[in-house]
Amino acid sequence: MNKLFFRGLVWLMVVGLFTACNEDDDDPTPMPDPDTDPIAVELEVRTVTDLPADPFTGEDDMGRPVGKNQFTFYSLENQTIVAREDSASSNWDIAFQGTNIIINGGPDRFGEGGAYIFEGTFEELQSVDPTRFIVDGVDNDVNDSDLAIPTGSTNGWYNYNPAIQVATPIPGRILVIRTASGKYAKIEILSYYKGAPESPTNEDESRYYTFRYVYQPEGTNF
Amino acid sequence: MRQNILLLLWSIASVAVQAQSDTLVSQDLSEVVVTATRTEKTLSAIPMPVTLIKKTQIQQIGSLRLNEILQEQTGLAIVADHGQGIQMQGFNPEYTLILIDGEPLVGRTAGTLELSRLAVGNIKQIEIVKGPSSSLYGSEALAGVVNIITEQPANTTATLTARYGSNETSDLSTSFNVRRDRLGIYGFVNRYGSSGYDFTPATFGQTVEPFHNYTLQTKLNYDFTEKAKLTVSGRYFWEVQDNNFDVGEAQAPNLISGEGRIEDKNLQAIYDHQLTRAWRTELRTYYTAYDTESELFYQSDQSLYESTFFNQDFIRLENIHEYFLTDKHILTAGIGNIWESVAASRYEDLNRFQTQYAFFQYEWLPDEAWNIVAGGRVDRHSVYGTQVSPKLSLQYTFSEKLSLNASVGRGFKAPDFRQLYLNFTNTVAGYSVYGTEELPSILAELQAQNQIEEVLIDPSLIGDIQAETSTSYNFGARLNPLKRLRGDINFFRNDVTNLIESQTVAVRTNGNRIFSYQNLSSIFTQGIETNWTYQLSSTLQVSAGYQYLEAKDREVLDQIDEGALFRRDPATLQTVRVSRSEYGGLFGRSRHMGNFKIFYEHPEKGIFTNARVIYRGRYGFGDRNGNLVLDQDNEYVPGYATLHISAGKDLYQKRLRAQVGADNLLNYRDEANIPNLAGRLLWASIQFKIGNQP
Repeated sequence: MNKLFFRGLVWLMVVGLFTACNEDDDDPTPMPDPDTDPIAVELEVRTVTDLPADPFTGEDDMGRPVGKNQFTFYSLENQTIVAREDSASSNWDIAFQGTNIIINGGPDRFGEGGAYIFEGTFEELQSVDPTRFIVDGVDNDVNDSDLAIPTGSTNGWYNYNPAIQVATPIPGRILVIRTASGKYAKIEILSYYKGAPESPTNEDESRYYTFRYVYQPEGTNF
Repeated sequence: MRQNILLLLWSIASVAVQAQSDTLVSQDLSEVVVTATRTEKTLSAIPMPVTLIKKTQIQQIGSLRLNEILQEQTGLAIVADHGQGIQMQGFNPEYTLILIDGEPLVGRTAGTLELSRLAVGNIKQIEIVKGPSSSLYGSEALAGVVNIITEQPANTTATLTARYGSNETSDLSTSFNVRRDRLGIYGFVNRYGSSGYDFTPATFGQTVEPFHNYTLQTKLNYDFTEKAKLTVSGRYFWEVQDNNFDVGEAQAPNLISGEGRIEDKNLQAIYDHQLTRAWRTELRTYYTAYDTESELFYQSDQSLYESTFFNQDFIRLENIHEYFLTDKHILTAGIGNIWESVAASRYEDLNRFQTQYAFFQYEWLPDEAWNIVAGGRVDRHSVYGTQVSPKLSLQYTFSEKLSLNASVGRGFKAPDFRQLYLNFTNTVAGYSVYGTEELPSILAELQAQNQIEEVLIDPSLIGDIQAETSTSYNFGARLNPLKRLRGDINFFRNDVTNLIESQTVAVRTNGNRIFSYQNLSSIFTQGIETNWTYQLSSTLQVSAGYQYLEAKDREVLDQIDEGALFRRDPATLQTVRVSRSEYGGLFGRSRHMGNFKIFYEHPEKGIFTNARVIYRGRYGFGDRNGNLVLDQDNEYVPGYATLHISAGKDLYQKRLRAQVGADNLLNYRDEANIPNLAGRLLWASIQFKIGNQP
């Protein structure tokens, strides 16, 4: 318990330092291109810490941990969690439940969303490729969905290591998102565990997303 | 032929001389080995890297099982994956062929042949050939060969050995040797048992559960004439081990208990006939079987949790001819047939293989300096096709102080039963694994039932699998720069293609994945191995060995060069590119390994003692930053050294020997990463000998 607390503390300090740096001078945003971006907007890198994604609340009859099987909806534009009651709307852009990620676009959704996975670093992703976006398919069940961000180890955003029972975001996979209102964002998932420990173990609390993202309200360049 | 006899006489003489001086760890180059060329040759005349471990060394360090003696040899690492096997030249255990008196042992679990199944009390010597030997031995001899030569009936003696040590480990052995004119009989009985140990007392089930096993071995020699000799030998191994584990959750334990049994049988008959002065032939027949069964029960209500079995049979018939064209041209040729079968709870039927093979070897000794061995083997396998494995080895002897050798060869490993025939479905985790021979029909059936959502591999590759192959180069030198200093150095390089890995091949409509095996990756291993021995005095000898190793995946290197491999910066967790220098190669390989040993022996006083330090450098354990590749410090198991000591005294004209020892004296432990490394083990043993050989 102490160890977890300590780790959390360290993480908060690291995050604090990191965001502090960003606010000052460490701006990775490239100079806007006046041709494609007539209105130059200062793009900030936002970090979301420990977003709960249906964390475990109990056990099933077999003693396996279970959550409530509910997605957490998130608005990239407003940087807020969107209430479940409001989920049948275009007020959210992306939602998380366990390792499943859905976007607000597709036949069973409510917005104009879409997504694709870019391979490279966060900084290298300078502009979106509008031809690559795909949308979520029709919902079946959670394990059999045709999602824009594929489920399953190695397919989408994470690798699962059965030897140590840990899911790790695959480095170099950047989620490119078209929001419910047709704007663009890029997301790098940093951790799936509470407190974003450097090397999570299966003792750490899972289903807590830490990610950083840039939201572009105008145009296709970051 | 004359040379052969001379060679034999010389070797007998040298062994006799050796009994006086007893060089323990150094490679006495006049020792005779048989594994490298399938003919009797002195170590100095073998143009490829060979290690010889003599009985004296095994006894003086006090090894009981094969893994204990092998782990102290340069360049060999014990790796635990469903049993303890050896890693040679950076290859996993499944790529090293383990022979007993020249015949293969079977019974591998996930590729690993459990070396602790083999007692060493009945071993005369162990010969290790590094580099591919498929040109003589066929499949599995890709990294090399370990050949265990058991005792030959000689003299009339009997021994009784008893040993007791930490973890209630007991070992009781008796052996006898009878030689009457034409008949020789050797017998060996061993019981080995332990209470095991537990690194995780909080959880149900020990790290190593209590076990006991028995080994019975006998060998019978009968010389019909000087020229016609028969050897019949048999070995029987039987082990029982407890099994305890918990399948429940922390708050709601669900305990499982039961017993696992292993049986291992070998039966061998060799008829050796000197047809003419120049022509010798050998007819070899061999049968071995490996059987396991395990029954596990819920402790709560004694109902059956799981019952599994595995039965493997292997029969081999082989005929070898050795022909001396002249003293300088020696031909060896052999043909053989192998019948194999496996039945197991995870296989659908009884599955059978057959292999026909022929090999040929030409040894040419053009002059005093040159020694050339060229050969090859063809294996025709009933399931996966034909393999051709050539090998060429050269040696040039400059003087007694220096000889150089070089060899190039091809090795292969056939797809195993699991890769061909596995038929396993895990309903809880929701996946299936099928061997490549099972896959086409199962996939077709599921497709007909509309149960397949998507096939993920090229349909032409379904059911297609080939042997894993390597091309290897060894280049070495044997040196004797000073009278008391002797050493060798060997550079090796292995290029391996067609490595078989499991892969998702299809997804079912219910989302469950179907795995099968495919030839996927290419790797290489390369490095340097060197061994040195210095005779400080007539009683004191020191030796040191070192191996540098690199083992890398070519696809990963390509990915790095394309800039397509990433990792997570541990401080910020953000993505950065992996560079070539950060890539640590394949998991489980130490870049640096070494050993340092001191042996003291005073034959007149009957005292001996030794200390051995075995070092294994850090090696990759598993991915922690999501890219499945070894590239970060916390993905390594820290390097470590273990110290082992032993001392003994011979009493009453060597009729009695008392010995004590400590394995891992400094009690190095890494419970999380190396559970098979027990802590400090103290032991004491006593041996009685009777008979006409002191």
